[in-house]
Amino acid sequence: MSATEASAGKLAVDEPRRAPLLSRTLRRREPMLVVVTLAIFGLTSAAQPHFALQGNISFLLASAMPLAVVAVGETVVMLVRGIDLSVAPVLGIAAVSTGFIAQDSHVSVLSMLPLALAIGIGLGFVNGLFVTYARIPPIIATLGTFTVYGGIEQLICNSRTVVTLPTSWINLGTHDFLPDVPYILVPGVLVTIAMALILWRTRWGRSIYAFGANAEAAFRAGIRVKAIEISAYTVCGMLAGLAGLIYVVQVGSAGYNTGSEISIQLQAIACGLIGGTTLTGGKGGVVGSFFAAIFLTVALEGVIVAGIAYQWQSAGVGVLLLVAILIDAYQNRQGRSVSEALRSVLGGHKPVQQEASS
Amino acid sequence: MSVIVKRARAAAALASDRTAEEYAPARYEARTITKSFGGANALTGASVTIEPGEIHTLVGENGAGKSTMLKVMAGIHPQDSGDLVLNGTHLRGLTPRTAIGHGIYLVPQEPSLMLTLSALENLFVGIIPRGSMAFSVDWKAMESSAGAYFQQVGLHIDPWAPASQLSIAEQQLLECARALAHRCNVIFFDEPTSPLTAREADVLFELMRRLRERNFTIAFISHRLEEVLAISDRITVLRDSRVVAHFDNPKQTSHRQLVEAMVGHEIAVRQRRQRDLSGAEAVLELKDLGAPDGAFADISFMARRGEVLGLAGLVGSGRTETAESVFGMRRASGTVLLAGKPYAHRSPSSSIESGLIYLPEDRGHNGVFANVEVVRNITAAFVPHLPKRGQLLHPRAEVEVAEKAARRTRVVAPSLDVPMKALSGGNQQRAMFARWLLAEPKVAIFDEPTRGVDVGAKVDIYGIIDTISDSGVAVVMISSELEELVLLCDRVLAIYEGRIVGEVTGDEITLERLGAMVVGGGASERD
Repeated sequence: MSATEASAGKLAVDEPRRAPLLSRTLRRREPMLVVVTLAIFGLTSAAQPHFALQGNISFLLASAMPLAVVAVGETVVMLVRGIDLSVAPVLGIAAVSTGFIAQDSHVSVLSMLPLALAIGIGLGFVNGLFVTYARIPPIIATLGTFTVYGGIEQLICNSRTVVTLPTSWINLGTHDFLPDVPYILVPGVLVTIAMALILWRTRWGRSIYAFGANAEAAFRAGIRVKAIEISAYTVCGMLAGLAGLIYVVQVGSAGYNTGSEISIQLQAIACGLIGGTTLTGGKGGVVGSFFAAIFLTVALEGVIVAGIAYQWQSAGVGVLLLVAILIDAYQNRQGRSVSEALRSVLGGHKPVQQEASS
Repeated sequence: MSVIVKRARAAAALASDRTAEEYAPARYEARTITKSFGGANALTGASVTIEPGEIHTLVGENGAGKSTMLKVMAGIHPQDSGDLVLNGTHLRGLTPRTAIGHGIYLVPQEPSLMLTLSALENLFVGIIPRGSMAFSVDWKAMESSAGAYFQQVGLHIDPWAPASQLSIAEQQLLECARALAHRCNVIFFDEPTSPLTAREADVLFELMRRLRERNFTIAFISHRLEEVLAISDRITVLRDSRVVAHFDNPKQTSHRQLVEAMVGHEIAVRQRRQRDLSGAEAVLELKDLGAPDGAFADISFMARRGEVLGLAGLVGSGRTETAESVFGMRRASGTVLLAGKPYAHRSPSSSIESGLIYLPEDRGHNGVFANVEVVRNITAAFVPHLPKRGQLLHPRAEVEVAEKAARRTRVVAPSLDVPMKALSGGNQQRAMFARWLLAEPKVAIFDEPTRGVDVGAKVDIYGIIDTISDSGVAVVMISSELEELVLLCDRVLAIYEGRIVGEVTGDEITLERLGAMVVGGGASERD
């Protein structure tokens, strides 16, 4: 036993073997999602050529962005083994607050950014307090704040709606800065890249993963767990606030039930799951959620374009979600990815032999 | 048919003497069972035969495969290969439910009762009798028949009390009663005595002997070798997932023979190191440390530079609680001095910053991130000091740091990119050592550092402890394995019921001496 270990030990530690780049890439969820999204897009376009028109591609990308930014934030909370149901009214409050000001006093979009972020940070921090210090399970805490924040959204609206935004806002929401690349895409992409780097390559991000993977072990490894958990909810709220601003710019209107109306909190959780993040914490990432938001938007639009009644949309979200969860469950059971399994079925590939011991 | 008649019949059916005796005495064989979890073999071609009317004990170190064997035989884990044969009949696709149907019941290590339900419901769970209407529950029948089962196991409790109100010992007896209520005559006890006091254990042993007289087939797991030798009719020893020895006559077997079979010989040949460290400076000092909940009190000791200081004691004696208080995980009164300076506002993060580290005893819950890559498990406590490029961590540099640390503690892994759970217990522990050595400790507290690791890893871990103590780290070692305290420590303190009851140094550290001290007796007075 110890003799075999010693010889294997030299091999393992002296020449660390990493899986080849191709299989490492295929094992990840993100490239898979891009391929599937393109496939759906291609199929739908083949059936209905106008689906691939320039304006429509741009529209699809733009209309995915509010969801994408919410999903990126939701993913951070999912990584700490939490859930945030209140992102819908947070988005709504930010959308109507900034929208009304823009409607009344014609301010620039950028000048509203601090307000949107501040709303999100404040409301997200409150969620974090409930979860971290009051020790209320996140699903209950944020269900509670979902209702409270929804009430606040209605109070702010006071039976008005945002309908007449300044031209500069409308233009930003509808124009492309390159063919098929809408302005709205920029904040979504920037947020996703920034969060991906922060999560993967900063101390804070590593603490988020460690906390989600095993909170007790993280505490014992010297991580300030309360600060980490509360910051996750704060960041999620902040991004929901940002998404509110993006939403009002992109859609051009907002009202008392903006956000809740399309259950964006459930769509965001679905994006997290489809993108490879688990509800059990410590696993996944925001890039997958970003692509999942585009995937979901394209798939649902595709359903309509393909002539299927739009009432099937929510069933469609559910089916996609279940498929993603099934893939996850399969990978967890088998300890390998679907692509690896496919290749081993097709022959030629053997999974790395794990060491057998103790 | 009247309701009353129906109910009487149901009660009679439940309470009748149609208990286990009506079954033929059961000879239960497990043949060449192999079982692996996530790539690590828990059982490799292991065979055990349990005869009716015997108490057959499985012994072995943690992780040897004892529990897995009984869980396979009780249908909890399906085996990868091998056969289960009950009185000549092959049992295929065994599940806990079908196992009970064959009369096989496992009393688990931690009682698995439904704590919010009554003792009565727990007793009959799965076979709750139906009442006058097909969907109702016949409470009267349950109540009238329960007494017989409680009596057989020596339980005197209110059948309507929720199980949460029962002591651990009572919960275990209730588990046994459940086995009888389900008409089982093959009963496995998976380490039942570890949470029990000596007197409670005696009650359980008395029950086991009575069941043996009734020709039951009984398997037992325990780490307490004295009780194993006293109660067993036969002993099977497992080591590293294999059956390595049988003892058919425990009365003629010595404690030493059993231990040698369990651990192999590698450890026995290690020699104690003779070092005189009485002049070295104290780096960690505890003065009158006490826990608010009374888990420990008046704990005062110091650990010197380069010293290996053992803390001996029984499970629950307060050793872990003391260590966690020093590390900053729980509140305590009293003073801690680190390198001569008072260390008051303790927390894991500030402890690590000041060079005090603590390797927890429960590796699975408190140490590893099971689904996370080995690299990141190793660097987890070192992230603030990892090389950076600008504001961002440098992934390749991190891998180099982790590889260097892994080489130092001889981690064996297919690659450091695999999740931690793919490694064996021994290699996970080596990786945990790599994590904590990265923090460059001045004081290292190791809590049960060799629990659940194989013999090879044990030897490596002893080597690591030798090396770092030679380099000047003060090591505080908590262990329930007295042998390793004898081998490794320069000085040993014994803790009994939350207090230090003795101290031995150098050649005074012997198995006999420690064995007496941990149960509160035979201690040399401390000055």
